[in-house]
Amino acid sequence: MARPAFRKVDRPEEGGPRLVHLDRDRRLVEEAQADPARFEALYRKYLAQVYSYAFYELHDHHEAEDATERTFLAALTNLGRFEERARPADGEGASTFRVWLFQIARNAVAQRRRTLRRRPEAPLEAAGSVVGSVDIERDAARKDEVAAAWSAVGRLPDDRRRALILRFVDEMSTAEIAGVLDRSEGAVRVLIHRALRSVARDLDDPSR
Amino acid sequence: MTGATPGRDGHEVEALVTDRYREALLAAHARGADRGPTPHDPDDALRRTADRLARDLPRFHPSFLFEEALAVRLGSVASRMRLPAAAGAEGLIVPLPMGDPLTELGEADTEDIPGGSGRRPLIIGGALTSAALSLAGAAYVAWRLNRPAAGPMVRAARAVARTRPV
Repeated sequence: MARPAFRKVDRPEEGGPRLVHLDRDRRLVEEAQADPARFEALYRKYLAQVYSYAFYELHDHHEAEDATERTFLAALTNLGRFEERARPADGEGASTFRVWLFQIARNAVAQRRRTLRRRPEAPLEAAGSVVGSVDIERDAARKDEVAAAWSAVGRLPDDRRRALILRFVDEMSTAEIAGVLDRSEGAVRVLIHRALRSVARDLDDPSR
Repeated sequence: MTGATPGRDGHEVEALVTDRYREALLAAHARGADRGPTPHDPDDALRRTADRLARDLPRFHPSFLFEEALAVRLGSVASRMRLPAAAGAEGLIVPLPMGDPLTELGEADTEDIPGGSGRRPLIIGGALTSAALSLAGAAYVAWRLNRPAAGPMVRAARAVARTRPV
């Protein structure tokens, strides 16, 4: 059973400090644990995040779907084992469920990557879907920019790339990324810092 | 698959980069440098890179078809999880009374045991699934038929049962 995890939050407009749950998904998780059919709310909430993580890791639409499916099926069937372990230091918006879910996703992606014959390449054709204007010339330039950024990120070592994707695409906190990658928060800060440095150098390199 | 611009918090990105700048500043002081990082030091490049990645690394959403198909599959799995001992009840374990059945498991007590009531038929799935379960079931039925009668209604019911051809 999840242990209580509260945090005092100052809300002057609401008459002073009050206690709030640390894990923002606690209610949804408890409902799903009581009735597995309620898992759908968590599924809808995190589908795009898990899929995006898988897509940036695998660079293939179908592989990403497969990893996403495995992730949510495993999460549903193992939800009874999930235990909230939020700490006050994790902050008000922390979700230990999301960390747990992404740990499953990380394993699912790792399994898919092992079965792939070669390291996936950056899905440059997908860069076109990011560009949305009707100005063809401008679109082409933007597409090149996006493709360059994706290539730079794709060339990063695995751990740096994952940290960067979790930070910029899934918008996780340092504490959450540390939980997913099983690293210390300090190590995650260093990973992201070095990743940004590498990408910055790469994008400034005219030979690329 | 469609691209979507996520609602990123620019302040978070800035806080991250600023944090790095602060650490670089402290590191510069710690090593006795006579100046901290300038706006042209890597932090400025990091800031621009972070902005660019926030813009160029969108969050993707899978196709609607995939989303709905997986939702259906999860719903199906959830249904099976919710009703593990429903129709068929394969693998149902039937607890047998231990010790003195008269003192430890009276007629009323059997109501709490799945399939253990003397007044309801004992159904274990569509078929007995193992030799061990068959023996247990046979032993339980034998014990139910041969134990001392608890009351006149039970005695009457058993008398009727004995008259039926086996």
